[in-house]
Amino acid sequence: MLLFRIALALRNLLMLTIVLATTLPAAAGQYETIDYYVQQMIIFAGANDAVSVQTFHEQLENQQRPAPGDALQARPFSQQGQEHLGRGDLKNALAAFRQAFIADPVDADIAHHLALTYLRLNRPREAERLAVYTLYLASARSPAWLTLGQAYGQTGDIPRAAGAFANAHRFARNQPQVLEQLRQLATTDSVDTVRISALQALQVIQPPTAAAPVSTLQSPDPPNSPPSSTNPNSPRGASHPQSPDQENPRQQIYRRSIPLTCLIVTSRNGKMTDLGSGLLVSPDGLVITNAHVIEKAGNLAVRCGDQESVARVRRQSRKPDLALLETSLKSSDSFVLNKTYHQGLIGLDVFVIGNPYGLEGTFSNGIISGLREIDGVRYIQISAPISPGNSGGPVILGDGTVIGIATMGAKVGQNLNFAIAAVEAVNAGFFDSARMKSQALKDKGP
Amino acid sequence: MNPACRILALILASWLAASPGFAQETSERNRFFVQQMIDLAAANNPQAVETMQRMLEQNPRPVASDPAAASTALQQGQAALQRDDLNAALSEFQKALQADPGNVDAFNHLGLLYRKLNQFTDADRALQQALALEPTRAVAWFQLAQVYGLQNDERRTIGALSNTYRYAQNSMRAEEILRYIAENEASDTLRNAALGTLRLHQLPVQSPIVPPLPNNPTLFR
Repeated sequence: MLLFRIALALRNLLMLTIVLATTLPAAAGQYETIDYYVQQMIIFAGANDAVSVQTFHEQLENQQRPAPGDALQARPFSQQGQEHLGRGDLKNALAAFRQAFIADPVDADIAHHLALTYLRLNRPREAERLAVYTLYLASARSPAWLTLGQAYGQTGDIPRAAGAFANAHRFARNQPQVLEQLRQLATTDSVDTVRISALQALQVIQPPTAAAPVSTLQSPDPPNSPPSSTNPNSPRGASHPQSPDQENPRQQIYRRSIPLTCLIVTSRNGKMTDLGSGLLVSPDGLVITNAHVIEKAGNLAVRCGDQESVARVRRQSRKPDLALLETSLKSSDSFVLNKTYHQGLIGLDVFVIGNPYGLEGTFSNGIISGLREIDGVRYIQISAPISPGNSGGPVILGDGTVIGIATMGAKVGQNLNFAIAAVEAVNAGFFDSARMKSQALKDKGP
Repeated sequence: MNPACRILALILASWLAASPGFAQETSERNRFFVQQMIDLAAANNPQAVETMQRMLEQNPRPVASDPAAASTALQQGQAALQRDDLNAALSEFQKALQADPGNVDAFNHLGLLYRKLNQFTDADRALQQALALEPTRAVAWFQLAQVYGLQNDERRTIGALSNTYRYAQNSMRAEEILRYIAENEASDTLRNAALGTLRLHQLPVQSPIVPPLPNNPTLFR
């Protein structure tokens, strides 16, 4: 019996060896094949190469279609899903669209609604896969390209998002409508990278007119605000026609501070990793920001006013959460750090400029609410609103000096925000007295 | 592969298949290969799974003595199963297999029937026979996964689910079914196995585990 089992095992082994020798290399999976064509269409859309997009579009169209499903069974689930989606009941919408998709996986409408539901549930990877699959079923379906773009935008993949958005426009039956959708995304989407991607797509679609610089992320000028005489797209009023004499003090602070407040964009392996604010502290391009803004950076880009530069980290520390960047920016003016830190500060007006959620140059005000020492670092508690993206930006006193660097806020409560006291930057080795300026409040000594 | 070697390999395989005692041991050998497909799938070794699949596909298919009778019995068995007459269904499926011992549908339905009867060993055997005849039958792999899930055998459930996904005609549909199970299934084994399968294939899924709170949850940066 034992010999028989050994013989059997040997025979099995021999068979296995034979079959191993005749095995063909495994082919690419179904999804991978589809995804390849979709990715090619995205790449060429991003490069505005219509001919190549069309070539891969045709290749995708020529792929073998999946087997049909049970449309009758799927229909009621699909209707339920749309009702749930309309009410914003995403959990039940997901359950219904899933059932519909499982019943009839070749209905592009169902597949796209499932992708959209995943997107709204902040599940971009699932949304991406379902959107790609929808394009396999209907490769010229503009809404699916739009969903795919948003999914990539949510994951921070700006080039792919922009390419997908460009295809949403290319395949749209109503192109002006999609253009408007892209403008909406570029101005109102809560995800920085979705907004930036939509802007990039707009630049690809309509370079001379529709493409707005990133700075137009801001809301349009209010009706009373005067138009800029030199650059109608500039929200910053760099060449404000109104006389400074007519400006109130807050406007004067804004006008002087805005060219010295920086947008910091960090990237790694071609993907944007973070977005924050900074302040120009020397005429030859030294910029202070938070260390957490640049901690994931492979590359750093800084824009202050109309100038842009790559940046190098000269110094950074965890405590205090600060970084000093060297850039090639040149300016006749720079912020002055205010070393004052005592109870007399409480109640003073403060102004905050930064790029919350990528909304460049957002200006707000409040008061100094308190002084706090957290983990040995001195902070200034302020009531001025700050959000992610404000990090590293200046907190300015009425005299235009910087009293703090906006760093964090409490998620609970209201208007409980914190800036690292400027004195920490001066004392912790971030201050270069040859290149930077500091002062204390003249009338508020300890 | 060198064409001469390929021809030699096929001749050798034919000789082995024709050797005495081969037929008697086929069933045991097939079960071995199906189990290997499960283990290798759970270990995420697709090349080896494919090798085992090819081993099974080289089996000569049993000849049907009466295909028409088999077809009729299968239809009657399915009808009985629909009206939940499990004993009648069992009898019809057995008749179908006597008339056509290579009828994959009959084995598959028999597996489903045994699972409904909570006869898991019989269900396992019937489904393995279905897979020995047609190792790319995704629905049989899915049935088998459920049988293992009911027996709380998570590793084999993962292996069978992995093969369900591998051989699914529509992989996106299979992926969505796996996500549905991973997020909604009441049975811990099946739910965890679906989750494990999605991760094995690097497919996105929402983790059901609540992530730990950050050190200082009240502050954002």
